[in-house]
Amino acid sequence: MEILERIINVSLFVATLRTTAPILLVALGGSFTTKAGIFNIGLEGQMLVGAFFAVIGTIFFGSPWIGVLCGVLAALVLAYVFALLVVTFKANEVVVGLALNILAGGMTISLMKAIFGTRGSIFGHGLVGLPAVKLPFAKELGWFGQLISGYTPLVYVAFILVPLLILFYKRTKLGLYIRVVGEKPEAAEALGISITRIRYTASLLCGLLAGLAGAHLSLGYTTMFTENMSSGRGFMAVAILIFSAGDPWRILLGCLLFGFSDALALRLQTFGVSSYLVLAVPYLVALTALFALSYRARPKIIRETLDSMRRVLTVKPAPETKS
Amino acid sequence: MSDRMAALSGQALAILLALILGALVILAIDENPLHVLDTLLRGAFGSPERIAGTLLQATPILVCGIAACISLRGGLFNIGIEGQLFMGGFAATWVGFSFGMPPILHMLVAIVVAALAGMAWIAIPAFFRARYNANEVVSTILANYVAILMTSYLTISVFKKPGGQSETPPIFESAYLPELFSFSRLNWGLIIGLVLAVAVHYFFLRTSRGYSVSEMGANPKFAEYGGIDIKRQVFFVLLVSGAVGGLAGGIEALGVHHRFMEGFAPGFGFDGVIAALLANGNPIGTIFTAIFFGALRSGSLMLEVDTTASREIITVVQALIILAVSAQVTIRRKAGDSTAGERRWKF
Repeated sequence: MEILERIINVSLFVATLRTTAPILLVALGGSFTTKAGIFNIGLEGQMLVGAFFAVIGTIFFGSPWIGVLCGVLAALVLAYVFALLVVTFKANEVVVGLALNILAGGMTISLMKAIFGTRGSIFGHGLVGLPAVKLPFAKELGWFGQLISGYTPLVYVAFILVPLLILFYKRTKLGLYIRVVGEKPEAAEALGISITRIRYTASLLCGLLAGLAGAHLSLGYTTMFTENMSSGRGFMAVAILIFSAGDPWRILLGCLLFGFSDALALRLQTFGVSSYLVLAVPYLVALTALFALSYRARPKIIRETLDSMRRVLTVKPAPETKS
Repeated sequence: MSDRMAALSGQALAILLALILGALVILAIDENPLHVLDTLLRGAFGSPERIAGTLLQATPILVCGIAACISLRGGLFNIGIEGQLFMGGFAATWVGFSFGMPPILHMLVAIVVAALAGMAWIAIPAFFRARYNANEVVSTILANYVAILMTSYLTISVFKKPGGQSETPPIFESAYLPELFSFSRLNWGLIIGLVLAVAVHYFFLRTSRGYSVSEMGANPKFAEYGGIDIKRQVFFVLLVSGAVGGLAGGIEALGVHHRFMEGFAPGFGFDGVIAALLANGNPIGTIFTAIFFGALRSGSLMLEVDTTASREIITVVQALIILAVSAQVTIRRKAGDSTAGERRWKF
């Protein structure tokens, strides 16, 4: 009983929110592309590039906020290339996503070597992390105050985005258009919605949040950049996206499940469980969830995506190049 | 110009474009692209030892590439070859240092166990893909991380060589894959890879089973109406692909390292997937793309010695090539080639 109390307490839930935030940000980004009918496996690379350029921006300009901006811009560039190839050139989503992930991995390491002359990780060099936000009224709330205060700003952004995105898809025109393009591309065409433009918008919105996720990883979650530091979070986000079908509420649940298992596993490490086994836990949880839920909610969205891409190909033989 | 020639020249143009982009990247990190190219070439082909080194690097890429070809032909993405390679490598090493057997038999048993380990590692993702359509791209990628962590755990916490570094005890000599030349670690694995490539090529070209797999890859609905049990076939295609992935690990363990350690075979699985994609799923073509990537890898070792560039710059070039080729084929399709891009995985 005492051991249980040592494992499960407020700081475990604090740790859960901490580990949930980066994957929540990137998964919410992916909800845009998922809803727009794009299978985006490039999240991992966008996140990694975001993390790297956030560090570079912070070191060169001395401000973590400019760092965040640089990270987001870099992820946007990658997201734009993804959209260019997948939407305009109709290249295979999986192939392009994989290639961009590999590109991101190689590019960040090469640039690290070229700029800092080292490999492995960047820290020091005047690198400052994002400040923690101490809510003024938190002290009076006891354990609840402990739970909601003291995180870096991007953690709050991640959780506030969940209700915002629900409203976005339900209430705004752009949200509606994104859903129509993803679910019924023919209907979108009949309504005169430009599928191309909506898919570009969705990809860039996705890059924006993936960049924030990366910046949070290198400036909030830790204050350093390490080779391949996104370590599969983008892929886990894709797994969550598959069984949530891009729905923000279910994304939150999936990410919390992941965050909790991660925090719990890290806690077990202090009890002498091998770190290798501990590190494998989040991947195993993501895999189990993917398999368990594939049985219920078959990944309809993927098949429909591929079908719709094919349909787009046959219905509209790329008029944009004819001019 | 025939269609085939047109396709090949398009591919070559795309690679050229990617190389130009790569040169710009190299310029951006303050190096001379020509100097880098020269270093790469000398590092890859400068002497018989270097050529053997290139082929040594190409071997696992080739075998992993064949694993990828098998799944790609069936319209499936097995991106978990890296994980299967680690499992196969570990399993072969385990057989290699745990049991004493007569020379050739020991090696054969270890190789078979490696293939079985790779097959076992893909079995669950394959089952859920076949039965419930669980996305195999994501599940096999996630399984990679688990495989790498698990084999590291087994190496360091369970089978660590007493007193040594974080590696398993060495395998017995009876399990070694024989070397081809005295001056290099290049071994029979290359022969196995080449034979396998030809065998898989003829499997798809000549056998009805191979034809039905290709048909499924080209158009699953049509194949199903044609009387193919899709679920069964998806399962078996992924299992075979996983077995070849495991075999790649076995070859690497028995032929090159003779033990298992952390960072056992970095990135060979991913390189194999890229090599197969670049060859459009053709095993014979994969021989050439694997040698190309092997040359990049072994050249890049010299790159780190002679220039300030990092060897990861070559992964940038690889990624650029794939991006350029993926866009190029669609342009060709727009120009009226209706046969390109019919398959799910084709560029």
